[in-house]
Amino acid sequence: MILTELRTTAEAFAHATDWYPKPEGLCRGEVCVPAPGALSSDGMIDVAVAAQKLGMPIVQDIEHGVWALGSATLSGKSLSTAVAADPELKTFDGTPFKLSSLRGKKVVLVAWSSY
Amino acid sequence: MPGWQALNEEIAKFGATVVTVALDIDPALAKPWNDLANPNHPSLVDTLHITNSLFGFTNIPMAAWIDEDGNLVRPAEGASIERSPLRDMEIPEGLPEQLNKMMHAVKAIPDDGEAYREAILDWVQKGSTSAFALTPDEVIARSQPRSDNEARATACFELGEYFHRTGENETAVKWWKEAHRLHPQNLTYKRQAWTLVTTPAGATEYDLMQGPNEVYDSNLVDEVTGEGGFGQFIIRPRL
Repeated sequence: MILTELRTTAEAFAHATDWYPKPEGLCRGEVCVPAPGALSSDGMIDVAVAAQKLGMPIVQDIEHGVWALGSATLSGKSLSTAVAADPELKTFDGTPFKLSSLRGKKVVLVAWSSY
Repeated sequence: MPGWQALNEEIAKFGATVVTVALDIDPALAKPWNDLANPNHPSLVDTLHITNSLFGFTNIPMAAWIDEDGNLVRPAEGASIERSPLRDMEIPEGLPEQLNKMMHAVKAIPDDGEAYREAILDWVQKGSTSAFALTPDEVIARSQPRSDNEARATACFELGEYFHRTGENETAVKWWKEAHRLHPQNLTYKRQAWTLVTTPAGATEYDLMQGPNEVYDSNLVDEVTGEGGFGQFIIRPRL
């Protein structure tokens, strides 16, 4: 997630990380991490607090004033839950597509590339 | 892609679908291959390599299995479903050194294609009772390790993508080099960056050799052969 300040909307944070603010804390699937101070009353996420709770490194390009948020390291594994992430990807004609639109089907998600 | 498309047709009757996702910063370079295949399954593009971070893809081809309720039943792992004809090809004499090394490295790629394909067919028919469907705890346990360095690499790669997209190519390269240093086993981070250097602007196909070049210290052939082969970068499925 690219940031120009260490605050962002809860929606943008969830969109980029798949971690959603809920009453229990920041949640993905059944995993919820208490994160006091991460969510303010105006719906904004304090990214530094959220990142610290989720074990997400923040990397800054000082010269350009840009930060990027790394992935969560909570479990020490690439997955902290077996609930599949649901990022908004796109088809080749630019149409947004979410894997959740395929609920009710088994999905074999295959990564490939042109290189 | 054609193999996956054929598999998709085979598994559709069991309420299953293939979804392909191209890990390509520039969709225009993947699109001709996609159009040629004309897939009948959802075919997506991931310009940010966000699926690296969210699913654990570090190489291609890799796959993860998701059940009807949206739960992973197998984490990201190497996912060939057919034997590459390159494996059985006679390597001609007199090839340029780098190409010769590449051909030998490709022939030595571990071949799990048939077993992996059979495992998919078993799962789509038996669901959770398939021996290949893992429990949630097994899925997490079998997913790849993610240290702080590896998580930091996802951020560095994204910074590289951001600066590449905004025309700051030197800065992009700096961050991609850092991503490569922090997560050396992530071959998509490397191959994506290398090809953007070695493929001329306007080219319709990537440079599959991916270097050497003057920008990066390593390149595909030397990296792979130096590490002992493509197998060192493949997360082989434990079937």
